[in-house]
Amino acid sequence: MNKIIPKIKDMIIMLDKVWFPLSLTLWVATISSVLVLCTGVIIAYVFARHDFRGKELAELLVTLPLVLPPTVIGYLLVILVGRNGLLGHLIYDFFGTGIMFTWQAAVIAAYTVSLPLMVRAAQAAIEAVDKELEYAAYILGRSEIETALLITFPLAKRGILAGLVLSFARAVGEFGATLMLAGNIPGKTNTMSISIYSAFQAGNDELAQALVLILIFISLLAISLTGRFVGKLEA
Amino acid sequence: MGIKVDLKKQYNDTAHSGKKSVKKSFTLDVSFEMENELVVLFGPSGSGKTTLFKCISGITDLDKGKITVENKVYFDKDQKINLPIQKRNLGYVFQNYTLFPHMSVRKNIECGLKGWEKEAKEERVLEMLNLLHIEELETRYPSQLSGGQKQRVALARALAPKPEILLLDEPFSALDLEIRTELAEKIKDLQAKIGIPVLFITHNLEEAFHLADKILILYEGKAQQFGAPEKIFYHPENLHVAELVGISNIFDDAYVEKHDEESKCTVLKSGDLSLRIKTQKFKPGDKVSWGIHPENITLLLPDYSSENQDENIYFVRINDIINKGPKKRITLTLVRCNKTLIAEVPAQFVDSLKLHAGDICLAKLEMTKVVVFHKS
Repeated sequence: MNKIIPKIKDMIIMLDKVWFPLSLTLWVATISSVLVLCTGVIIAYVFARHDFRGKELAELLVTLPLVLPPTVIGYLLVILVGRNGLLGHLIYDFFGTGIMFTWQAAVIAAYTVSLPLMVRAAQAAIEAVDKELEYAAYILGRSEIETALLITFPLAKRGILAGLVLSFARAVGEFGATLMLAGNIPGKTNTMSISIYSAFQAGNDELAQALVLILIFISLLAISLTGRFVGKLEA
Repeated sequence: MGIKVDLKKQYNDTAHSGKKSVKKSFTLDVSFEMENELVVLFGPSGSGKTTLFKCISGITDLDKGKITVENKVYFDKDQKINLPIQKRNLGYVFQNYTLFPHMSVRKNIECGLKGWEKEAKEERVLEMLNLLHIEELETRYPSQLSGGQKQRVALARALAPKPEILLLDEPFSALDLEIRTELAEKIKDLQAKIGIPVLFITHNLEEAFHLADKILILYEGKAQQFGAPEKIFYHPENLHVAELVGISNIFDDAYVEKHDEESKCTVLKSGDLSLRIKTQKFKPGDKVSWGIHPENITLLLPDYSSENQDENIYFVRINDIINKGPKKRITLTLVRCNKTLIAEVPAQFVDSLKLHAGDICLAKLEMTKVVVFHKS
C-alpha cells in the first residue's frame, strides 16, 4: 500500500505534465491540417490544370519548405510575421497584439512545413484524373469549379487523403520552426516535440519516455486509420 | 438551320490528343454545312476527326473560321466570338465513354440537368432510361456495366440536356459486331426521332455507308469530299477518297482518248488498255486516274460472248485465290497489258466454275462502276 499510493501520485503528476502538450499538439495539428486541406487542394488543382506566368516560381516557393532546414523556415517566418515583419506589422495594427509566442504561431509553423506534402500528393492525384472526364462535365454545362468539386476532387480523393495524413503527421512532429516562432512557453506553446526536448534536457527521463511513447502511438494510429479508410474507398 | 462549319487550326509542334500524338505542323482545314441529318466523318487515324470534334465542342481553340449551330454562333474569329464549352449545348460521346466512375448511372445522367426542377429532372432521367432501354441499370455504377451498356448510358447522358447537336466519336469501336449493329440501328432511329444534326466518327467503312445520310472524308486534316454515300463510293473525287472507300485497283496512267457519241460513253486509254466509261465530265486529252472496286469485277468463262461490243471485257489469268469466308479474293493479270487487278467474287461462284490459279478467263469491268477522277 505504501508503495502504490506514491506511484499513483506520480502518475497523476505525470498525466498533468503530459496532458497539456498532448492536447496542444493535437489542436495545432488539427487546425493546421484543416487549413492545409482547404488551401493545398486548391493550390494543387491550379498547379495541375492551369498554366500561368510565374508558375514555376510559385511551385518552387510552395515546395521549398520540404528541403529547407526547419530553423531557416522559422527564421524566415519570424521575418514575415514577427512584430516588425511585413505581415506581423499588419497583424499587430489590426489585433493590437503580436502573433509570436502563441499557439497560432505554432499553427503557422506547422502549416508552412506540411503544406508541400499536401500539394505534392494532391497534385499528382489530380493530374492522374482523366482530363476528358472534366471536359465531359463542361460539355454537360458544369462550370470549372463545379467540375472540380463533383468530378476531379472525388476522383483524386485517395491522393488527397494520403496528403492529409502526411501533413497531419508532419504537423504533430514539427519542432524547429515552431521553436523559433512560438517558443517553448510551458502551459502555452510547449508542444509534444518541444516538451520531449525540454524533459530530456532537464534529465526528466520518465516524462520524455512517456511523451515519446504517446507520439509513437499517435503515428501508428494515423497510419492504421488511413490504411483502413483507403482500403474502404477502394472496395 | 443545321450546322455550318468553316475552320482552320494549325499545330506547329507536337500536340497530344489522348493517346495519339499529332505530328508537327498539322493543319486542320475543314468546311461543310449540314442539315438535321446524320453525317459520318471518315478517314484514317491522324486525319483530324477527333480534333474537329474538339474544335466544334470548344475543347480546342481555333485559329480561324466560324462555327454556327442552329443559328447560334459558337465561334467567329472576325467577330471575336468564342462561346464557352458550357454554353454550346452539344452532346458529345467520347471514344472511351467517359462515364463518371464514382457516380451511379442515374447521377451520371443527372449531371447534365443542372438547374432543372427536381420533378422535371426525375422525369427526364426516366425518359432517357426508357429511350435507350436501360431502366434496370439506373442504380448501377459504370464498373458494373458491359461495353454496350456503357455506350447506352453515355448516349442517355449526352441526350438528357436536349442538345442541339450530337457528336459521337467512334462510339462502337470497342463493341462486338452484334451489339454494334444493334446500336447503329438505334442511333439511326434516335436521329430520326430527335431530329438534331448528328456527327459520327468511324473507322469502319460498312458502318459509314450503313448509317450516313452524308459522308465527310478527311485526310491529313483536309476535307476531301462531302456527299451522299453512293456519290462518295462511285464518284470519289481523288486518290485519297478512292483508296479510303476500298478501291484497290487504281491506275494513274490513263488519259481520255475520245467521246463516243453513238454509245454515249468516253473512251480511256490506260497503257495498252482501252476502257469505256459512262461519264461525260472529262475532255479528250485529260490525264486521269481510274479504278474499280474489287467487288465490281465480274468473272466470266472464256467462251462467254457478249452481244454488246462496248463492254469492258478482257482476258485475264488467275494468279492467286485467297479464301475470305463467303468471298474469295482473286489476283488477276490482264493478258494483253500486264496490269494486275484484284477481284472479290462470291466463293460459291468460284467453286461452281472450278476456277484455279493459272486458268484463263474473262473479267468484266462494269462500265458504270468504273471510277474515274482527275490525276492528282
